Amino acid sequence: MTLLELKDVSVHYGRIQALRNISFTVDEGEVVALIGANGAGKTTTMRTISGLLNCSEGKVTFAGQDITKMKAHIRVVHGISQAPEGRGIFPGMTVMENLDMGTFGRKDRSGVGKDLDRVFDLFPRLKEREKQYGGTMSGGEQQMLAIGRALMSNPKLLLLDEPSMGLAPQFIRQIFKIIKEINNQGTTVLMVEQNANQALAGAHRAFVLETGEITHSGTGKQLLEDPSIKEAYLGVG
Amino acid sequence: MSMTDGPTPLQTAAAEQAAEEREASSKAAGKSDLAQRGRRKPGYFSDRWHALSRQQQWAFLIIVVVLAYLLPLMNPPIITTEPGNNFALACFDMARFALIAVGLNVVVGYAGLLDLGYVAFFAVGSYCAAMLTSPDSPFLHIPYLWTIPIAMAVTMFFGVVLGVPTLRLRGDYLAIVTLGFGEIVRILATIIPAMKGQVGFQNVGHPPGTEADGTPIFSNSNGVPWYWLTLTIIIIVTLLVGNLERSRVGRAWIAIREDEDAAEIMGVPTFKYKVWAFAIGAAIGGLSGALFAGQVGFVNNQKFDVTTSILFLAAVVLGGAGNKVGAILGGALVSYIPLRFTAIAEYKYLIFGIALVLIMIFRSQGLLPARQRLLAYGRTALNKVTSREGTEPKDTDNPSAGPGTRAAGQRGAEA
Repeated sequence: MTLLELKDVSVHYGRIQALRNISFTVDEGEVVALIGANGAGKTTTMRTISGLLNCSEGKVTFAGQDITKMKAHIRVVHGISQAPEGRGIFPGMTVMENLDMGTFGRKDRSGVGKDLDRVFDLFPRLKEREKQYGGTMSGGEQQMLAIGRALMSNPKLLLLDEPSMGLAPQFIRQIFKIIKEINNQGTTVLMVEQNANQALAGAHRAFVLETGEITHSGTGKQLLEDPSIKEAYLGVG
Repeated sequence: MSMTDGPTPLQTAAAEQAAEEREASSKAAGKSDLAQRGRRKPGYFSDRWHALSRQQQWAFLIIVVVLAYLLPLMNPPIITTEPGNNFALACFDMARFALIAVGLNVVVGYAGLLDLGYVAFFAVGSYCAAMLTSPDSPFLHIPYLWTIPIAMAVTMFFGVVLGVPTLRLRGDYLAIVTLGFGEIVRILATIIPAMKGQVGFQNVGHPPGTEADGTPIFSNSNGVPWYWLTLTIIIIVTLLVGNLERSRVGRAWIAIREDEDAAEIMGVPTFKYKVWAFAIGAAIGGLSGALFAGQVGFVNNQKFDVTTSILFLAAVVLGGAGNKVGAILGGALVSYIPLRFTAIAEYKYLIFGIALVLIMIFRSQGLLPARQRLLAYGRTALNKVTSREGTEPKDTDNPSAGPGTRAAGQRGAEA
């Protein structure tokens, strides 16, 4: 079943067009990856879906509902949650307080305990750091916190913007393992990645963005084997 | 104000050592983590303060409040501003600044919105009181006390009117727009005939009541009743703002201050809460404006310039943005210093400038830094919901939990 659908979406920054008629869908239960070089429009796509940017043309549908004009904070209530690029945690709040902020839009307070257990299950490190300030943690820990915080709203769709950015290789593998686990628990995941190898290996389907347009699409495996993608993104000729 | 009386009876060497260790470890952490720069760490005094039990805190607060009420009557020899300035009137002025700082702190300290035109709200409040009570005003006249809620409502309205179009802007842009708004109000007061420009309004009303000999209790020359009134209002406003700070609204404000985009995608209606911060801050500014108009008894366009706005902001930054007690202290100090040291009053902007530079270098969070303990309450609620054991709500403020975990975190990060 289609959970998220973008139809002919264009986004402009002033007169500069960042996305040109992008269309794709994300089905329930999938892990979908968007890969592309710098400036391809990956983050713009994410911000358009989470509602921080407005699209100039096109339509965004979520769970059968047109959300094109919906404000970002209401989209959270409907089940879209984002771990933003560069983590975007609250540096002056403790880990627990950050996680608590993740529940801000929730109506069902009763489910909070279960989700907190889930987050601590996925990231035992956060449990250890419970009382530490977000800003004092390492990059990897902050990334865990950002993902954990996004999960605290119990989203249907989790948006991950460059979850592996700036992390050590063994840590990247761990993050992708966790993403897989989050997906196995029933959360649909849409991620944006520069680390194409890992992203394609972990994703059911993937799209390649180039200068604001989708140029390739297919299953993760197909794209991994596509020679042109290999050359451009995987660094092997 | 005597809120400055810092060191408490519980002054133990152990506490000091813990604080030192913590300082050292957070410095070490700072080397490798840029994000730390923006972090607000609890200060020395707040560590001490939170180490006290609830009863001790209350006892201490009651003593401070009683001393604050008695301040103009005691007229302590070294602290006094006489013979240069009447001490009771000086106390009122300090209280007035403190109230303004509490209001501006909601906007700048909690929600992180840089407002350089706060004097405009103060002006609107003053004009409200003046135009509704002064015999010079062509409008209807009502008892002075009624003008206080009216002034608050009107300034709140102005806060929303200014906020709705401008709060879509961020950072520097917002600061410039508010700066412009501050000037607009002052210039309107000059050019609109009904507001009487420099001529102004005389004999602004005051609260009712007369002494035995028939002179009004709230006279222009007697600062004591005005001071008590303002102090009472400060206490009420601080309690209300404190409750707000610990509520869902306060959490939203802090989140907006820390990272607006992140707050929005956590489900915080950022625009709505920013307008609320603006409106509440404006109402408190209007309230202090009305008090000021009543005490001075005269309002014209000369008192509402940009430098006054900057002075208000300096009070908040000096005291510690985001900490209401800090704001009270900062406001009182900014008013007190030129009144006490009349010889240097002419150079007050120079002195505040230097003081601000020094504070930014050596104590960038202000005299009393903010630690938004409000979420401790959120966590209490969370614990209730999840009936989770082992996460006591107050532990965040326990210094002993600090160094160990933090150092461990550092090791973990490098491993």
